[in-house]
Amino acid sequence: MEKNEVKTVGKGVKFERIRRITGYLVGTTDRFNDAKQAEEHDRVKHSITTAKN
Amino acid sequence: MGQTQTAVFTHIRKRDGSKVPFDSLKILEAIRLASEAVPENKIPASELAPLTKAVIERLPAGTEPTVEQVQDMVEETLVEAGYFTVAKAYILYRAEHAKVRQSKDDLMHIYEQLTFTDARDADIKRENANIDADTAMGTMLKYGSEGSNYFVNNYILPKDIAGAHINGDIHIHDKDFYMLTETCCQIDLIKLFRNGFSTGHGFLREPNSITSYAALACIAIQANQNEMHGGQSVPNFDYSMAEGVRKTYKKEYARALADFKALRGENEPGAEEYAEKTAWERTDRLTFQAMEALVHNLNTMNSRAGAQVPFSSLNYGTDTSREGRMVIANLLKATRAGLGNGETPIFPVQIFKVKEGVNFNPGDPNYDLFKDAMATSAMRLFPNFSFLDAPFNLPYYKPGDYNTEVAYMGCRTRVMANVHDPDRQVTCGRGNLSFTSINLPRIGLLAKGDEKKFFALLDERMDLAFRQLLHRFDIQRKKKRFNYPFLMGQGIWIDSDELDPTDSVEEVLKHGTLSVGFIGLAETLVAMRGAHHGESEASQELGLRIISHMREKCDEQARNTGMNFTLLATPAEGLSGRFVKIDRRMFGEIEGITDRDYYTNSFHVPVYYPITAFKKIATEAPYHALTNAGHISYVEMDGDVTQNLEAFEAVIRCMKEMGVGYGSVNHPVDRDPVCGYTGVIYDVCPRCGRREGEELSVEKLRELRRKYPDMPVGKCDC
Repeated sequence: MEKNEVKTVGKGVKFERIRRITGYLVGTTDRFNDAKQAEEHDRVKHSITTAKN
Repeated sequence: MGQTQTAVFTHIRKRDGSKVPFDSLKILEAIRLASEAVPENKIPASELAPLTKAVIERLPAGTEPTVEQVQDMVEETLVEAGYFTVAKAYILYRAEHAKVRQSKDDLMHIYEQLTFTDARDADIKRENANIDADTAMGTMLKYGSEGSNYFVNNYILPKDIAGAHINGDIHIHDKDFYMLTETCCQIDLIKLFRNGFSTGHGFLREPNSITSYAALACIAIQANQNEMHGGQSVPNFDYSMAEGVRKTYKKEYARALADFKALRGENEPGAEEYAEKTAWERTDRLTFQAMEALVHNLNTMNSRAGAQVPFSSLNYGTDTSREGRMVIANLLKATRAGLGNGETPIFPVQIFKVKEGVNFNPGDPNYDLFKDAMATSAMRLFPNFSFLDAPFNLPYYKPGDYNTEVAYMGCRTRVMANVHDPDRQVTCGRGNLSFTSINLPRIGLLAKGDEKKFFALLDERMDLAFRQLLHRFDIQRKKKRFNYPFLMGQGIWIDSDELDPTDSVEEVLKHGTLSVGFIGLAETLVAMRGAHHGESEASQELGLRIISHMREKCDEQARNTGMNFTLLATPAEGLSGRFVKIDRRMFGEIEGITDRDYYTNSFHVPVYYPITAFKKIATEAPYHALTNAGHISYVEMDGDVTQNLEAFEAVIRCMKEMGVGYGSVNHPVDRDPVCGYTGVIYDVCPRCGRREGEELSVEKLRELRRKYPDMPVGKCDC
């Protein structure tokens, strides 16, 4: 009674990360083949400037 | 003659250790075959017997020679006799056989791997991310696929082609389906639904409401997917579904009118206004429900024995009718809503067709839907955007005629021009027959900057690919209409409704495309010029020359054969790592070429190279015009894109202005399955505050649920 047993959820549950592969999407990145996982890992963001001049 | 030699050896030892009777005629036959491979240096028939004897004389007397020994002696004898090119052909032939034998040995090993290893540990089971190879049917499918590859390698393909595939000069896509069918098709649902259709397992009458239109659309995609090895696309989804909306509206109008009159009397004014208003409201609601069901169905219904859901693509955006607009708006809305627990739908791949005067600028009738499409894509990654104003898409376009609007398969495949029948340059009922990709970086590595050598090798590889595509077509054309009960039997493929069940499909297949693809232009340019096209103008110049040359060769081949040979910027999911793995073994690890686990997709600027979005688009756009079998460009955006729609729109508008054919914006879409948050998650979930793998108290979850009633259920007991 003194010690409160805290019920928890989510232990070991990973985040889902959805990415586009070749025009289409896949469920989550852990379904990617090794090469595509490597490619996804290497992707860098492209900067966008909306200034018209 | 020969009384001594033939008596010397009674047996020969095969590679598997077994003994078979020695037969000198087999040696003669091998020499003849090698000789026939090089018509310019052919050995006269009278020379074959003396050469055979010379081979036998070289074998150590009194032993049981091995096959390898005999082959070594054949090589030596040919070289000594001055038949250098024949010797070279023979050596190649041997090497190719050795590779094929290798694959033969590996088959049972592969079956073992498929059976006893989980997908997360076996790359072979994740070749295509949308196939679940851990399930019984997924594994069964892989058994079939690997067994079929073995059969095709060993018994079907000409040896030099099998060799070129195995050694990674070329890659024959979907080789497991070599003996069976074609890649993909663009389905005209309007034509299919007229008077109903049969799936091969039962007849369905013409649908009469948007609800049944959407349901039957899924069934048609599913049925066709099971007869082809690629994806299925609806090129005119808005136009197709608009007919269903019209029927629903008519019914709802009649019902509302009857309700009004029953309640207020026949002559009470305002009946029509009430009926119209009520009917549109109900129709809109029913259309949303139909689109919601369609998205759910396309993410859950089985195809290919349950290993996959159908690979579906929907093109839309140009139907400006009230009904068509209602379809588009509700499909986008359903996509934003997501699946049962708010998950991002993986299918259908959605493609929004951008067209000036229709939806591109403020004041265009569907401009609001274009904005809506961008907001949806910013949240869910779909739709992608295709550009009907691109200089290579525009010439086909006739306003209001969907059959003249270029459509894309979700993966990027594009089918439009038609050398087989220039009067039928249309979208519906056509697709790709098969495609084969060329390992461009290897040619760069072999040529080492020598352009003359590069283009000579490129021509050689392309000729090989052409020959292989025709070899495959020769198998495809022998099929009959009855081999495709849905695709052909229901008249989905162009002109197939004019065939009798036992007619050959050869003539109608000729409306499809045979495509040569490529991967790794960036690595190729590093090999040739020391820099890729994103970082060097000179490399861009060479890159454009290489791809232009490939396109010209495809055009030339199309003119010479009357077949639709086209150039493809290969999607390369399974292929992305295959060539580079072999090339690293051959050439070692070379910086910027073989030092990563993948070759860069098609003509893309490498994903790791920092470049502005606009520079990337400007660099890649000219290649879209050259790759008439399909292409796509991506821009990677950071952070929560839904909060930056202005930037999103700037990217899409830039793609359109630069002449891109098909493009999309990539951005992170993450989801925490515990609390259901969808958006960008870096290390910590912004909703529930847990890190990946961390636990969360049930109390906290319960608290969150009060704030977010749409949170997933079933993950816990609260």
